[in-house]
Amino acid sequence: MSYKAPIRDIQFVMDEVLDFPGHYQSIPQGENATPEMVSAIIQEAAKFAENVLSPLNKIGDEQGCQLVDGQVITPDGFKEAYYQYVNNGWIGLPMDESIGGQGLPTSLGRITFETQVTANHAWTMYPDLASGAIKTIQAHGDKSLQSYLPNMVTGKWSGTMCLTESHCGSDLGLLRTKAIPNQDGSYSITGSKIFISSGDTDIAENIIHIVLARLPDAPQGIKGISLFLVPKIKVSDDGSLGNKNGVSCGAIETKLGIHGNATCTMNFEGAQGYLIGEINKGMSCMFTFINESRLAVAQQAHGHIEASFQKALAYAQDRMQMRAPKRKFPEQAADPIIVHADVRRMLLTQKAFTEGARLLNYYCAQQVDIAHGESHSAEKLKAQSLLAFLTPIAKGFISEVSQEATGLGIQILGGHGFIRESGLEQEYRDTRITTIYEGTTGIQGLDLLGRKILASKGEVMLPFVDQVTAFCNENKDHSFSKQTLMALNTLLELTDVVASKANDPDEINGVGVDYLMFAGYTVFAYFLAKAALISEEKINANAEDKNFYQAKIATANFYFSKILPRTKTLQATIISGSAPLMAMNDGDFSF
Amino acid sequence: MAIYQAPQRDMKFVMDELLDMQSHYAQLPGCENASPEIVSAIREEGAKFCTKVLAPLNKVADQEGCTWSESGVKTPTGYKEAFKQYCEAGWPSLIQEEKFGGQGLPYSVGIMFGEMTTGSGLAWAMLNGGSNGAAETISAWGSEEQKEQYMPKLVNGDWGGTMCLTESHCGTDLGLLRTKAEPNSDGSYNLTGTKIFITWGEQDITDNIVHIVIARIAGAPEGVKGISLFVVPKFHINEDGSLGERNNVSCGSIEHKMGLHGSPTCVMNFDGAKGYLLGPENKGLSCMFTFMNFARLGVASMGMIHSEVGFQHSLEYAKDRLQMRALTGPKNPELAADPIIVHPDVRRMLLTQKSLSEGGRMLNYYLAQQMDIMQHSKDPELVKKTGNEVGLLTPIAKAFLTETGFESANLGLQCFGGHGYTQEYEVEQNVRDARISCIWEGTTGIQALDLLGRKILMNKGENLRSFTKKIHKFCQTHEGNPDMAEFVKELNHYNKEWGQVVMKIGASAMKNPDELGAASVDFLMYSGYVILSYFWAQAAAVALQALENETTEEDFYKSKVITARFFFQRMLPKSQGYLATMNTGAANLMDLDAQHFSF
Repeated sequence: MSYKAPIRDIQFVMDEVLDFPGHYQSIPQGENATPEMVSAIIQEAAKFAENVLSPLNKIGDEQGCQLVDGQVITPDGFKEAYYQYVNNGWIGLPMDESIGGQGLPTSLGRITFETQVTANHAWTMYPDLASGAIKTIQAHGDKSLQSYLPNMVTGKWSGTMCLTESHCGSDLGLLRTKAIPNQDGSYSITGSKIFISSGDTDIAENIIHIVLARLPDAPQGIKGISLFLVPKIKVSDDGSLGNKNGVSCGAIETKLGIHGNATCTMNFEGAQGYLIGEINKGMSCMFTFINESRLAVAQQAHGHIEASFQKALAYAQDRMQMRAPKRKFPEQAADPIIVHADVRRMLLTQKAFTEGARLLNYYCAQQVDIAHGESHSAEKLKAQSLLAFLTPIAKGFISEVSQEATGLGIQILGGHGFIRESGLEQEYRDTRITTIYEGTTGIQGLDLLGRKILASKGEVMLPFVDQVTAFCNENKDHSFSKQTLMALNTLLELTDVVASKANDPDEINGVGVDYLMFAGYTVFAYFLAKAALISEEKINANAEDKNFYQAKIATANFYFSKILPRTKTLQATIISGSAPLMAMNDGDFSF
Repeated sequence: MAIYQAPQRDMKFVMDELLDMQSHYAQLPGCENASPEIVSAIREEGAKFCTKVLAPLNKVADQEGCTWSESGVKTPTGYKEAFKQYCEAGWPSLIQEEKFGGQGLPYSVGIMFGEMTTGSGLAWAMLNGGSNGAAETISAWGSEEQKEQYMPKLVNGDWGGTMCLTESHCGTDLGLLRTKAEPNSDGSYNLTGTKIFITWGEQDITDNIVHIVIARIAGAPEGVKGISLFVVPKFHINEDGSLGERNNVSCGSIEHKMGLHGSPTCVMNFDGAKGYLLGPENKGLSCMFTFMNFARLGVASMGMIHSEVGFQHSLEYAKDRLQMRALTGPKNPELAADPIIVHPDVRRMLLTQKSLSEGGRMLNYYLAQQMDIMQHSKDPELVKKTGNEVGLLTPIAKAFLTETGFESANLGLQCFGGHGYTQEYEVEQNVRDARISCIWEGTTGIQALDLLGRKILMNKGENLRSFTKKIHKFCQTHEGNPDMAEFVKELNHYNKEWGQVVMKIGASAMKNPDELGAASVDFLMYSGYVILSYFWAQAAAVALQALENETTEEDFYKSKVITARFFFQRMLPKSQGYLATMNTGAANLMDLDAQHFSF
């Protein structure tokens, strides 16, 4: 079954819940983002995702990428889809006009990205990695490096981010790739990087690598890391392509999923590179866009929930097996399995997660627009706080529930879900990476609880907490807002509990993941409650689409009944702390 | 890179110290072959065979998979040779009856042994699983002639066997099945139809394959009451026992699937294949399900093994991989970073796997011990009581251990970070292989309905009450022991709560049958955590006793107590989430119109 963009729900979230039309009027990039324009863009994005990307998803999985004579060959059709994509200007959509973009809001780029990533995650990683490289060069590169941008924005050249080495992933301070200064001000980069997504392709005519490396005599650890731009093919002063640079793809990984994307080992052998930003400030340059790249992973994870839900729902409405306690189709030998309470439990879990994730992701995208604003306004600072708090939650929580939701997608199909033909197991395999890259769930938990909340003495939470509290107080008598407020208050109490024990540094990492999950369930509760209350208003106002709004209320009701109570477990395990984890001697885990 | 090692110390702990299998075998008629020396030898030799012969094939088989052609199915490199070695060592005959050439060992020894073969190569081990299923069925329902014809060859591994149930339009709902059996004048039948998902349906390893097939005899009643059981050999068997012509059964294709690539999953076409009735006409389903508990315990064992395998791989990696510093200060100051096992969150993942693997082993071996009693005891009252308990616990073991086994397999991968996502290690294979266990032999949803509907509410909670009494007695026995207080107090609480939960669901299910389906999976998972806490409390009691007796293996027993404590503090609270959600009933699942799930 092929992907269908959930346009109605996208509109609901944008127009009815998060007031994107008002938002776009209030930000400078929003000038051209009129409701008609936004709607047309989303329709076009949906068409491209449905008609071009979705049919390539299985092909990409089955064929995978090949390395032939040092050159990556992407699956059939990937290249053509890429040309269609760049020729229609999709890469430049949220980029500044000064570098050849269309200057539309970042959030609009992210919303169209949802349709693409749901249709074909592996494919989107070719243009999306380039976007990360573009933003990094634009923000930190000097004038000569800015000249790389126009060709990247048109998609003629692609880009990568080269961080990981075989002995260092989470712990980049250990990295070894060297950068030796040349007389002409450039550097010779030598070292080996692994897990480089889209590291080499047959799609673009040049690839611009953003590489972390260490200058001779640089301080040890992360304070001695600098950032470099390393083109695959050297670029002459007049912009024409010159000789091949000393960078090559040594191998591609065989992996659990996202087969359509080439995960490369990149060897730099005296490759000519150019410093981006200041010497030894590479990590902070690299992490300027850490929130955005983590939010992109949250969207990938969401895409798989949505895709799995669509396929599982179609199957559940179609597959005749067993009979309902009250027969729905007495004239037939069996009922469709959607009649069974337990199948509905699984479908509704997927549905609540996909709709909750959409709300949270769009909300974050909106905050990214504001946080990009020019001035140091209070609004901008608030958006930054909101993003600091919500990003690890969106990344960590949505990627974790994506594992669950896509697992349920397999389960709904039974034995058929285990078969590749169904496409459900691919959703699971593809999303399995989302709890790992751009910082594992464990790292997100540490970031949220340690670096963000405890380091700011809880201040980073305040804008969101205030917003949720205000919503709950405005709707005091509603059962959904009551439950949301209760969850929020428990979260705050638990924050105090952890803070009181934080003199033991193991405490934060010991409960970080459980805390993150608790926060995630609470954030989803808020958004789903908000969606349900708006839907109630619509029904009371006799809006058309009554069934749509009633489904929103039913989904929220399901969430509050069958999902949010999981916080009870997390509350208990957070309180139990790190002691049960630390008591065992390292050598005594097995005998 | 980790290669599977049978956790022999723990297997011994559960068998000898926790369940006292030695006295169990000594007391039970027909189990006398299982002397302590024999059991140790099987464990030790089996462990060697699995580590040396099977484990090295596991990854190769995953990557090569099986290949289909008109002439048959080619299995992965080394599979055939390994099976030959396996048969030469006499392993297939372990628990089979002596009169057919078996070794007559109790079922629980088979479960212990099977744990090691599944741990080192689940795809490969399924071949023997199918043969066992066929042998059990023929042994129970075949005529003497049929037994003589098939049993010795199935027992010595010359022939393989399969179970052919599913058809493309019916998996869970076998009443819909269409495969037809037309009677011939010689008393045989001609079977026509297509079966799917037949594990090891066709292969190049054994000389013959004995298919056990369910089909509908012409004129049989509709639904499950019109299903009969047949034996259909791949090659006809001549009077003298030699193999004759090929029967009209063939493999039409094999599935491309998420995992278990080494095991061919076949579409089997029966085109007027000659088959022979097993057991009474139209009673096929009940004949087939005689062994349901055994088959489900087999899958429960797989679930546990997914935890074990994930644990073994990720533990080795966590001790080896240097990354970041311990938050409390460097543990390894002379090196650039500490091994990741110092990090609390990595420990959370390791201990989750460990407590599920070891906890699952206790539950499974206990169940296997009870099944020994069902098979061998001469006391009909005891057999009945034991049967009731096995009926209660089996769906929990099957579903809970496979669900948590999949979770563990995933945590195993997560400990590796990006490296776990690549095929450089076997952890991602473990995840893919583990996914099927929540599905076959009845999905988690089906197990949950079986548990709550057939095993609990149908007898008004009597079976559950007997079991909770057992737990209550355990709590009373240890009440006075201050070292056990942390476990006994919690266990007592959950044990009471468990009974109350059932009363509540029972009352609402009387009014609305959807309440049962709505609560069932939550209830099953809840029950799983409670039962495992009972076994962990027992393990703690044994370990505390050993420590008091000044054991020479202090570290081993201390680690048991610490793992028990982890289970009680970090795992058992998961039951509370399930309790809360099951209490919210069915309306929140049933209200939404089937057409309104998406717009």
